[in-house]
Amino acid sequence: MNLSPAEQERYSRQLGAGVLSEEAQLNLRRSTALVTRVGGMGGPAALMLTMAGVGRVIIAHGGDLISPDLNRQVLGSEAVIDRPRAPHFADYLRSMNRFVEVDYVDHEPSDSEALELACKSNIVLSCPPTFEERLRLNRAATKAGVPLIDAAQWGMTGTMMVVRAGLTACLQCVYPQPPPFEEFFPVVGAISSAIGSLAALEAIKILSGTGNPLFGKMLTYDGFQGRVTTMELTRTEACPCCGGL
Amino acid sequence: MKIRVVTMGRHYHETEGLPEFLELQEAASLDDAIDRLGELLSPGASFPGSCLIAVSGKHVGTIASHSAVSLGDGDELMLLAPVAGG
Repeated sequence: MNLSPAEQERYSRQLGAGVLSEEAQLNLRRSTALVTRVGGMGGPAALMLTMAGVGRVIIAHGGDLISPDLNRQVLGSEAVIDRPRAPHFADYLRSMNRFVEVDYVDHEPSDSEALELACKSNIVLSCPPTFEERLRLNRAATKAGVPLIDAAQWGMTGTMMVVRAGLTACLQCVYPQPPPFEEFFPVVGAISSAIGSLAALEAIKILSGTGNPLFGKMLTYDGFQGRVTTMELTRTEACPCCGGL
Repeated sequence: MKIRVVTMGRHYHETEGLPEFLELQEAASLDDAIDRLGELLSPGASFPGSCLIAVSGKHVGTIASHSAVSLGDGDELMLLAPVAGG
């Protein structure tokens, strides 16, 4: 099946040499991406995936939008304050691309829900604030056999790692013990948007079959110091999540 | 020998006083470097056990659990305190 003339027009700036082939764009259209949560990083990630033409985007995020969220949660607006994030964020995403199906889950998925969602998806983008949730999504993606992209930030710095369980280090290989959670973490919206967009770029590369994804690596963007580094990650053979795969 | 020190991640501002380059004895180990850096932190401060370590771009574990590594002149030691904000 080919792209329709309307789709060719919509994606004309990302089709061609050095970007996506028509087959790569069709691969995106055939794909489903799960993004949880869709705040500072997951929001821009879900937006970029939707605008790029990933066929189905599933977002998960509980709770109502509050005023402090609006320094970074780009899917929100003044009109959504005190209203549930997920349905409104999904509406916004739908408004950005009529060729994309957007579904939402209005809470943070449990272990079994995360696995069920991962099994319906071709990739999982992990963007929650706690390591408990990140490790849950890591387990779900590993069991489902789909790639995981983990995006995180603090202040003016952010990290992103790309996992293909069984072949590269998974999140639990890197964090054998969940690091402490800081509920009121500082964040500048520009860094969360940057990291979320980079996570979306990796997902677009993987889903479309374009370029060289950062599998097995962690990219760190230190906006405070103005420094970008890449770390080659090491698997843990006895990892309780991916060991033996 | 001299190694380069890069600290990143959560509470990055608390390590601003650390030197960019660290002089160590020849054939010093990763643990020697971590101990030396720990002495240079503010009183009462320490690197968290979950802090990731990379030597010249290669992840070698965390402060709490890492492989034994011999350092060489010109190596880059990166310490990354995990970040998780959403």
